[in-house]
Amino acid sequence: MDILIPDSWLRDFLKTQATTKQISEYLSLCGPSVEKAENGVYSIEVTTNRVDVASVYGIAREAAAILPQFNLKASFSSIKTPSLKFKGQVSYLDAKVDFKLCPRFTAVLIKNVKIKDSPDWVKERLLAVGVRPINNVVDISNYVMHELGQPVHTFDYNKIKGAKMILREGRSGEKLTTLDGKLHTLKGGDIVIEDGSGRLIDLAGIMGGENSAVDENSKNILLFVQTYNPVNIRATSMSLAQRSEAAVLFEKGLDPELVTLGMARGIELFVKLTGGRPQKEILDIYPDPYKPKSISLDLEFIKARLGTEIDKKKIDSILKSLGFETSWNKGNLQVSVPSYRASDMSIPEDVVEEIARIYGYRNLPSELMSGALPEPPSDSPFLFETEVKNTLKGFGAVEVYTFSLVPENFVEGNALKLKNPLGSDSEYLRTSLMPSLIAAANENLGEKEPFHLFEAANVYLPQKGSLPEEKMMLAGIFSDTDFREARGVVEGLFAEFNLEGKFNPEESAHFAPSRRLVVSMSGREIGQFGVLENGKVYYEFDLALLKKSLKPRSFRASSKYPPQIEDITLTFPEKTKIGEVIESIQATDKLVSEVELKDIYKYSYTFRVWYQHPAKTLIDIEVEKVRDKLTKELKNKFGAIVKS
Amino acid sequence: MREEIINIKNEAYAQIMDAKSTSELEELKILYLGRSGKLNLLTKRIKEVPSEERKEVGMLLNESKNAITSLLSERRNSLKESAREWFDATIPGIKPKIGHLHLVTQAIEEISRTFEQIGFVRVRYPEVEWDWYAFEGLNMPSGHPARDEWETFFVDNPTHSKYGQTVLTPHTSSGQLREMERVKVPPIRMINIAKCYRRQIDTSHVPMFHQFEGLVIDKGISIAHLKGTLDYFARNFFGKERKTRLRPFHFQFTEPSFEVDVTCGVCGGRGCKLCKGGWLELGGAGMVHPVVLKNGGIDPTVYSGFAFGWGVERTYMMKSGLSIPDIRVLYSSDLGFLRQF
Repeated sequence: MDILIPDSWLRDFLKTQATTKQISEYLSLCGPSVEKAENGVYSIEVTTNRVDVASVYGIAREAAAILPQFNLKASFSSIKTPSLKFKGQVSYLDAKVDFKLCPRFTAVLIKNVKIKDSPDWVKERLLAVGVRPINNVVDISNYVMHELGQPVHTFDYNKIKGAKMILREGRSGEKLTTLDGKLHTLKGGDIVIEDGSGRLIDLAGIMGGENSAVDENSKNILLFVQTYNPVNIRATSMSLAQRSEAAVLFEKGLDPELVTLGMARGIELFVKLTGGRPQKEILDIYPDPYKPKSISLDLEFIKARLGTEIDKKKIDSILKSLGFETSWNKGNLQVSVPSYRASDMSIPEDVVEEIARIYGYRNLPSELMSGALPEPPSDSPFLFETEVKNTLKGFGAVEVYTFSLVPENFVEGNALKLKNPLGSDSEYLRTSLMPSLIAAANENLGEKEPFHLFEAANVYLPQKGSLPEEKMMLAGIFSDTDFREARGVVEGLFAEFNLEGKFNPEESAHFAPSRRLVVSMSGREIGQFGVLENGKVYYEFDLALLKKSLKPRSFRASSKYPPQIEDITLTFPEKTKIGEVIESIQATDKLVSEVELKDIYKYSYTFRVWYQHPAKTLIDIEVEKVRDKLTKELKNKFGAIVKS
Repeated sequence: MREEIINIKNEAYAQIMDAKSTSELEELKILYLGRSGKLNLLTKRIKEVPSEERKEVGMLLNESKNAITSLLSERRNSLKESAREWFDATIPGIKPKIGHLHLVTQAIEEISRTFEQIGFVRVRYPEVEWDWYAFEGLNMPSGHPARDEWETFFVDNPTHSKYGQTVLTPHTSSGQLREMERVKVPPIRMINIAKCYRRQIDTSHVPMFHQFEGLVIDKGISIAHLKGTLDYFARNFFGKERKTRLRPFHFQFTEPSFEVDVTCGVCGGRGCKLCKGGWLELGGAGMVHPVVLKNGGIDPTVYSGFAFGWGVERTYMMKSGLSIPDIRVLYSSDLGFLRQF
């Protein structure tokens, strides 16, 4: 949470010559982070564990501990409360309190209050922290809350029927109108206050009830200062979406001892600003007062966590400046925690943090760890993925990252759905990259040149009773690209990794008829390639299976005997499958070492054929024999005619 | 012989200066410098020279050859264009088709390379994860206010009796427990880079982004080691002169917790419009909370560790000084954008 602290207000409790700039910088280095300081107001980020500094008073206490580390004198003026009389029972209010919900309950009746505007100094301070002044009574509550971090509430005493209060857990279905005019229906588990007539008059810790609110005619005010169980407050505040400043403070667990200060400052301001007369005795129901808790740790532990040695005296002075009490028994340190730090201090590491931050992280050494190195997992996929991406880049492809969250029309069959999507365009976890890549290609309709986009990303395949399978896929799309060229890129990718892919035609949805190939390696299907219905060429492969199909390259001595190479041009009848022709040429004879399709002109196909014998140079007659066999077979099988 | 050499040289000079075309120059080159050119013929006769003078004559021969060679090329270049063979070297080349890796891939490569050099092992863990790994096991029980900081997406999947609800990982910290479970016995030096998801979208937030998470666990790991690692990263990723600093912060899964800043590359740490008093905020870090170690099956009385987790996109932009006004463009597929990197 971010809070605003006026510098002048801060200096009510912080006696120092330090400048605004120094305070900002040194607080940020050792305590809560000052995001900026403008026009004499600090904007400070308070972390959830440090609700004790979410106030002018708390920041002053913190600054007084930090500034001396930078050779700046600073002291903290705490609020003294000697004259207040706290009693378990009072004549003006009969209260029954469930102390599991409310660890400390205090209230005091203030009579003859005159409601009017607050003096300027109050208004100015409130405006500086972003609060609109209303009247003196409302302003006092806000003033105390910002000064101390302790929310304070006021009731019109005369509206509390029977001068009676029962603080209890709310029941499901109970209704209550808060003073902002909103009617809430409770879910149960909220903290509420019921008066002598059985009406709910307060949604405790969140907002007061409309029926007990102070108005311009109020004369007798009940000043009300409590701590509440943070879990109940948070549940109510979240479920009713009523995120009042009070609720945000209460849900972090406030210090019950702070209630005393809240009461003291509240009474003081009521007397000053409203002329009201507070009753002598303050009702205080506090069955289990704070007993300081203690944390034990060793000097060795502190040294080991910091990576350096700090002497006992320094440790002592740091902890004492923060309000802790310390006692040493040789190397063992007992730290007694003040009430305002009780909620965030419980383990030795917490104490280490306090010592280290005040000592200054900048003063700790910086060194790399020594020690054994871990073994990387044997099946690490990253190097292969990088190489695949780099190869495609080398072939002119452009990598995209598209969202894994997709609309309903991007998924087929079983897909995982979000419970709280940002919108219907991103409510499913994708099960295929195809729709995303089609959309990516369509984002570039204005592009005149052919292009090739690709992506490596997970798809999420639901599995019963467990997390989905996250499968890393490689997919790409070609725009304005010929089938053979696109297929060549895929073949080139395989060749780069010495992968042997088998392409088998098989029809499937989304692809144009006869234009889809299933790709398999070592008898395992690893993906698909083909022309989509929209004319773009698409491919996708399971990257893990691709990697599994990798075989180590083997060395083959290059033949001492040169091959004979020749081009043969053949014509085929319509609808001949050239893939099969090439397989057939290759299978003709052991002496055919390689075949390549060089050229196509109408129905004429030119093949380049390599003839080679591992142990001798072939002579023309030997080549001729193989060639004759080859053309004869092609004629028989495919009706091929040799063109001279 | 000395005189002969000088005569030949002078003759060559005169003829070269008179030459009118490249072909004439080519002929002269053969005549004087060719294998059976005039100077080479003299070289073959060097044995005739008395041995005490031989060295000097040899030097003279070489000097003359060099002088003629350079005069030839000088003349060749100063001939008028019309007398030369026409060639237009200003014509542009034919580029191969140039592909592009996405900015995020480039960033991930650089980040992982930097950490791999100091023994970190790269891993990747589920993006769709149980609540236990993302929150509960990281010391954030359900209903804890600290959870508010992550705008978490929940997945419609049956709740697991032990691990709870299914979420999209809002941070890579969920990999901490996974890595502890995988390794079992430290040392651990993990760098986990993965997609993360948060329920927010505006010019500086996208619901899907990337984080990298470092985790080190061993005996005697201290804040000094965290500082050492961060400084190493800053020097090697951002630049030699860059430094880091730690400021106090709070996370439920680390104790102590820090916010990490790096000196601003633009002003060199003196303070400018782009930074805060010379520093830029990198992200969170901390010493692994003992509860988290215990949840990962590691004894916190024997081992300690540190962790940090930052945005890939943000960190990379801070390095390259790229200023992309709307971060969402990273996840568009516009070629105009993609081809810039």
